[in-house]
Amino acid sequence: MDREVNLPSLAADIRKERRGAHGSTFTLDVSFEASPGITILFGPSGSGKSTLLDCLAGFLQPDDGRIAVNGAILFDSGNRVELPPQKRNIAYVFQSLALFPHLTVGQNVEYGLQQLPAPDRQKRAAEILEAFRVGKLKDRKPGEISGGEQQRIALARSLVTRPRILLLDEPLTGLDAALKSSIIEDLRVWNAANRIPILYVTHSR
Amino acid sequence: MSMDSLLLSFRLALCVSAILLVLAMPLAYWLAYSSWRGKFLVESIVALPLVLPPTVLGFYALIAMGPRGPLGKLWIALFGHGLAFTFTGLVIASILYSFPFAVQPLIASFESVDQRLLHASAILGAGKLRTFRRVILPLSLPGVITALVLSFAHTLGEFGVVLMVGGNLAGVTRTVSIDIYDRVQSLEYGAANRMAIILLVISFGVLAAVYAINRRVWTPWTAK
Repeated sequence: MDREVNLPSLAADIRKERRGAHGSTFTLDVSFEASPGITILFGPSGSGKSTLLDCLAGFLQPDDGRIAVNGAILFDSGNRVELPPQKRNIAYVFQSLALFPHLTVGQNVEYGLQQLPAPDRQKRAAEILEAFRVGKLKDRKPGEISGGEQQRIALARSLVTRPRILLLDEPLTGLDAALKSSIIEDLRVWNAANRIPILYVTHSR
Repeated sequence: MSMDSLLLSFRLALCVSAILLVLAMPLAYWLAYSSWRGKFLVESIVALPLVLPPTVLGFYALIAMGPRGPLGKLWIALFGHGLAFTFTGLVIASILYSFPFAVQPLIASFESVDQRLLHASAILGAGKLRTFRRVILPLSLPGVITALVLSFAHTLGEFGVVLMVGGNLAGVTRTVSIDIYDRVQSLEYGAANRMAIILLVISFGVLAAVYAINRRVWTPWTAK
């Protein structure tokens, strides 16, 4: 921690009550810190993992708590601070991946780079697609490529924006073990060069 | 001769469906995504023309557009002439009458866009307008086409509202459905038949196009 004190780290303290399908309620109550590198959050389904990630990303509002990345406050119920998802500079890979089905792989990856001029956008997109070994797929649609390739592209799309943290919501479910570890290896290599906290949420060991 | 009323109907339907698309888009967006509790009231008002007799709608439209109605007064103050029995008046009444046919397909297609795609767009930094333009609208294209085509076809075939608001002025407000009625009243069955057939064929063609589009357009980007 001391070594990496000036690198992004995530500190979250969240309470959120949720209503279940049958009128039941449960309260998510978590407090943790994550430093650069991969942090795995393990919990059975229904334990509020996605709720936690949605609170961090800003899709859900915690009832109470505080979220900060490297000292910058994203949410603070005490001071009524709540940055919208657009301003949080967080990357989030959903369980369903949520690739835009009507856009090509290249357009998907460039989607988060709207503020850059077109040549820079294409260069950054090409670099990250290469890093995840899917450079050839630039002009294909998400519906035309394999599940493993879709996972790599979802990672590339969210990391190309140079986020402060990366949230992964069981993105690798349904892949065989070899493919899974090869993708995780590529993510490790990327993370070694880009020291940000990665929060990996899963219910499988 | 009989082409006049057919052309007038086409002009009316084109104006109405184009204006309706612009008006219906923001309303449908709001109805699809707002979490306001009183939303059902607005939904009911939008759907009213589906169940009201055209004469009721036409009657109130006529009153509103008349020289003592609020809309009529405003129009006279702005342009120096009234609204009732004019083409513009017909356009306004037809917009009201066809409103649900434009709004409802748009709501349905906006709502069917996967919420996670909207989340993905937001977390990648896109504001509401960009998300609408780049994600919601392209994925709702079949709904947009359906809205356009249904409001066009519905306006083309309307009778009661036109009769109440527009009357029966050749070249100004005599649409094809009114012309057909006139011909039948004066026992000109041949002329009535020619226009009726054209309307029938167009209506069928339009509906066939809508159903074809809604079957096909979804497939190119969903898994095969």
